[in-house]
Amino acid sequence: MCDQTVTNTEEVKWQKVLYKRQPFPDNYVDRRFLEELRKNIYARKYQYWAVVFESSVVIQQLCSVCVFVVIWWYMDEGLLAPHWLLGTGLASSLIGYVLFDLIDGGEGRQKSGRTRWADLKSALVFITFTYGFSPVLKTLTESVSTDTIYAMSVFMLLGHLIFFDYGANAAIVSSTLSLNMAIFASVCLASRLPRSLHAFIMVTFAIQIFALWPMLQKKLKACTPRSYVGVTLLFAFSAFGGLLSISAVGAVLFALLLFSISCLCPFYLIRLQLFKENIHGPWDEAEIKEDLSRFLS
Amino acid sequence: MVLKAFFPTCCTSADSGLLVGRWVPEQSSAVVLAVVHFPFIPIQVKELLAQVQQASRVSLAVLGTWCHRQQESEESLGHFLEGLGAIFSHEPWLQLCRERGSKFWSCKATHQQRPGTPGVSSEDHVMLIFYDQRKVLLSHLHSPTVLPDCQAGDATASAEGLAAIFDTVSRSEVLFCKNQFDEGPVRLSHWQSEGVEASILVELAKQASGPVCLLVACLLSLVSASGSCRLWKLWPLPFIASKLSTCEQLRHRLEHLTLVFSTQKAQSPAQLMRKANMLVSMLLDVALGLTLLSWLHSSNRIGQLANALIPMADATGLWPFVSAPARACVHWACLGLELVPLSSLLVLMLILTAHPSNNNNTTAASPHVAEELQHLLQWLMGAPAGLKMNRALDQVLGRFFLYHIHLWISYIHLMSPFIERILWHVGLSACLGLTVALSILSDILALLTFHIYCFYVYGARLYCLKICGLSSLWRLFRGKKWNVLRQRVDSCSYDLDQLFIGTLLFTILVFLLPTTALYYLVFTLLRLLVVTVQGLIHLLVDLINSLPLYSLGLRLCRPYRLAAGVKFHVLEHEAGRPLRLLMQINPLPYSSVVHTYRLPSSGCHPKHSWGSLCRKLFFGELIYPWKQRGDKQD
Repeated sequence: MCDQTVTNTEEVKWQKVLYKRQPFPDNYVDRRFLEELRKNIYARKYQYWAVVFESSVVIQQLCSVCVFVVIWWYMDEGLLAPHWLLGTGLASSLIGYVLFDLIDGGEGRQKSGRTRWADLKSALVFITFTYGFSPVLKTLTESVSTDTIYAMSVFMLLGHLIFFDYGANAAIVSSTLSLNMAIFASVCLASRLPRSLHAFIMVTFAIQIFALWPMLQKKLKACTPRSYVGVTLLFAFSAFGGLLSISAVGAVLFALLLFSISCLCPFYLIRLQLFKENIHGPWDEAEIKEDLSRFLS
Repeated sequence: MVLKAFFPTCCTSADSGLLVGRWVPEQSSAVVLAVVHFPFIPIQVKELLAQVQQASRVSLAVLGTWCHRQQESEESLGHFLEGLGAIFSHEPWLQLCRERGSKFWSCKATHQQRPGTPGVSSEDHVMLIFYDQRKVLLSHLHSPTVLPDCQAGDATASAEGLAAIFDTVSRSEVLFCKNQFDEGPVRLSHWQSEGVEASILVELAKQASGPVCLLVACLLSLVSASGSCRLWKLWPLPFIASKLSTCEQLRHRLEHLTLVFSTQKAQSPAQLMRKANMLVSMLLDVALGLTLLSWLHSSNRIGQLANALIPMADATGLWPFVSAPARACVHWACLGLELVPLSSLLVLMLILTAHPSNNNNTTAASPHVAEELQHLLQWLMGAPAGLKMNRALDQVLGRFFLYHIHLWISYIHLMSPFIERILWHVGLSACLGLTVALSILSDILALLTFHIYCFYVYGARLYCLKICGLSSLWRLFRGKKWNVLRQRVDSCSYDLDQLFIGTLLFTILVFLLPTTALYYLVFTLLRLLVVTVQGLIHLLVDLINSLPLYSLGLRLCRPYRLAAGVKFHVLEHEAGRPLRLLMQINPLPYSSVVHTYRLPSSGCHPKHSWGSLCRKLFFGELIYPWKQRGDKQD
């Protein structure tokens, strides 16, 4: 009997199918059972400095929030004249606007088909509405307690950081929501400022730093990576300096946060790649290779 | 097969004779209507039956014989009666017999003519059912509501049989017109054979009703002709008339009058009952109205009423009565927040200040009441109960409403000399009926609280605007939009300036919402109070309009007139003797009397469910006590 089965197994080749009756016991495991198993076929090998470079987007956004809060603090304390901020903001916006077209030689503008007249119209709309509503903004939250406003602003800015489009392809990312939360926070904070002109300039500054600056950044990063690194470093140092002038502890903590995000986190990511064990095989779900997004729109 | 013989109780002591009635083959039952006494000539009996049949369209026939044996034993009579079957042929032939004492009855039903075997007769079981002919004649049988259980088929079948019997009795009323005092060839015995029931008053009323109806119908046609004149169709008048409950009520009453005094005869007993109900409801209405009129015009009550009304209207209409609960509501709304002791103190103070105005103390009450609403507004303009309100908007709204109150007070001052005269004339309308007076009261209430309505509309519109704006801006905030074509929320990519302006407006609206919502809440509570009072008045009017008083009175005094069914008492149940039952009429229960005969109300009230009402209140849609044009469509 035993011999017969052995000869049978030698004769009949084992097949990994359930629909055939095969001369093997139920708990039989063939040597070829897992031969189609693959491991980590999609795992990437990261370069440390490339990861550090990519993390600069997060650094930039953190710095933006920090700069905004610092500027608001100065305005609230009366240390910063609103005219000065307005002048600086306008000048940097103009420079940024010129740079925006210069970097890629006007290719992006041609591609999007957006005229300068539309830009001017948008700018006019911003300024008119903000200026018109600034007295309303000034009295909007008078009766609401300051702590409530602070809490609301903190939540909104955190939301802005969470939902911001850092380039990841995830469901949580929503640049609209992120921008709206930032504007909401800036309106809340602006309503605590002493005069309506302050509120107007604060909201204008918020648009510049939360809406216009990331657009320029994206273009800088795509076209001139080296200057982007320089700008990021400059921006980070200026944010650190501004925070240092308000609170040393805060500045140290902020610096630690920036350092951990830009240096420690990439290192940790690369270390963790060693422990990656993704298994693939014929049991995987079917994957549609072709891009079907044009059917779904 | 059991044969049912319905026998009138009034004929139990009648002399022997022939049974006249109707044979209902579907139910296999014989309805005996009268007994024809000896002596008679068969041709004359047949002629009489033919006459009655022509008049009532009930197929009457001689059903059999009735034999009431007195002291002497009459064997020969029995044979004679059997012989009558040959003259009046009927299938089956009933032979009822009452023995000497009243206890013994015998009953036979024979089938005589079998085509194959002549002379051989077969007998059936007979069930003898006694019925009160007068009650059955006068009663109106109501078909029972369909039973949900499995016996519904049986119930409807038996109800049909019952209805056939009631119908037979009530249609053959012609037969009962002949009494023993008539000089007729045939002597009958039935419930009116001792004498016809009649009343002089009823006869007089019957005689008078024709001309009266004609006269009133002419007058009514004149009134309705003047009502349909083109002058009333000019633009604002139909709109105003549709909103005033007095006009609705007058129109309703006019319809009633036209129906009651129409010269056509009522087709069915239900319609007759409806007319009677309308007439009684109208008479009661007018009687109550006249009582009210006499009460109002005795000892100058109108002047007192006017004096009481002016200060009330001065501030917020019914403010002295409503202030305490309304503020209590506001107080409860704010209770969860802060300042509990202060609010309760305020409420207490308001109750105290509002109290003196109830006692016709006009000179003292007037300034008090005028101050009340202004106090409320000033309280709202401050920081009510520590709510976080936007001060600037609060001030604007408060001043706006204060100015409105100022306008209203000056309007009332302008009106105050005429109020007594107006009230006197309005009081006269009570002779048209209490319902008209109540409707006028409701309209006066609506007119005097017009400023509350205005406040409510302003508040609701503002609130609705905010809610709608916030809901659409919240979608923009999340980067979504409402797709009208697919009726769903889609994602959408907005421009930068759209986002910016949307978020700016969203922030502003969010921070201004509590202020608007508080004003809306307060004025909605006031408005709801007025609507509730108006609703109660309308409920009372509807009650008087639609309560079937005549039917209820009939049910109270003559329960047999409205029959829901019958019940049977067993009189005798012995072996070898026919089963004898007594049929008694079950009266209709009061609830189904009201349900069946309820008059249609004027029906100008919207049917809000509580859920939809709350939804409307939450979204700031206006609520009205009258029906909207849009409501009729759904």
